[in-house]
Amino acid sequence: MELNTIVKSICEKYPGSILKETDHHGIHEITVAGQSFYEVMKTLQGDEKFGFDMLTDVVGIDRMPRSPRFDVLYLLLSSKDFTRLSVRLETDEGQQVPSVSNIWHSANWGEREMFDLLGISFSNHPDLRRILTWEEFEGHPLRKDFPLEGKDFNKPFDPTTIKDYC
Amino acid sequence: MGLENQLVGDNVLVTSLTKLVNWGRSNSVWPCTFGLACCALEMIASTLADFDISRFGSEVFRPSPRQSDLIIVAGTLSKKMSVMVKRIYDQMADPKWVIAMGACASCGGIFQSYAVVQGVDQIIPVDVYIPGCPPRPEAVLAGLMKVQEKIRTEKLDQRPDVKSGTLR
Repeated sequence: MELNTIVKSICEKYPGSILKETDHHGIHEITVAGQSFYEVMKTLQGDEKFGFDMLTDVVGIDRMPRSPRFDVLYLLLSSKDFTRLSVRLETDEGQQVPSVSNIWHSANWGEREMFDLLGISFSNHPDLRRILTWEEFEGHPLRKDFPLEGKDFNKPFDPTTIKDYC
Repeated sequence: MGLENQLVGDNVLVTSLTKLVNWGRSNSVWPCTFGLACCALEMIASTLADFDISRFGSEVFRPSPRQSDLIIVAGTLSKKMSVMVKRIYDQMADPKWVIAMGACASCGGIFQSYAVVQGVDQIIPVDVYIPGCPPRPEAVLAGLMKVQEKIRTEKLDQRPDVKSGTLR
């Protein structure tokens, strides 16, 4: 499916929802406004016309000096005609992104990873906990302002600080 | 004169208990089946026919920490995994020895990061460090021989468990 067709149909249904559209070497990308993000995603998955039934990956990007600070990318695939579409959403610290994990179940862990490593918060997520680091971990390691070595690097590590497993 | 002279020719060997125990222990050091990263592959290679760790009595990689004498920490130890390594070490029966295999297990290696323990000696007491990234199987064997050397020179009453009175 052509990018123009997708953009046109979405814009008819939700006017003003698409802020930007790009097409780099056949990779379609749309930037969606925050307030209509969830509805657009639901349409992309549920509408027969699009049928993006597979969420292949979820990406979070920290663009620190910029405001809003974060980019959230959802990479969609339609198994009908194998069109790929990436949906971008710009968000800032303290803002909540509506979770799409009840649309695509594969978003569950991807969003948890973004929450863990970048500190992006999601609303309506069924199980928003850290997934890679442990509960007591301080900070979000993939943020640009996170020191690579983390906290207390020079002190010997005490495994009892990881309470999840003790 | 003396017991030795009386027994010559009767296939009897007289030795001290320490020597006998150490001889037995050093020639049957059973490692734990346990690996963390690429070093584990070299550890496995050292058990295969080319290098054959069984020449030193250590071919029996035990699937249970209760049955093993040696833990070869082979690979990068992440902070999340450190809890399990500590638990495996605690579950091993005394006497027990530890080899830190490779740069990561010895000092964190190239991973100077928030997620990696900078050397397993922060978690458990290490007897022998093997350098390399990863060390070749020959180096693993050399490390094992160092452990054997250490066991052979050990005095029974100087073991930490004997000294602290926890030995039963």
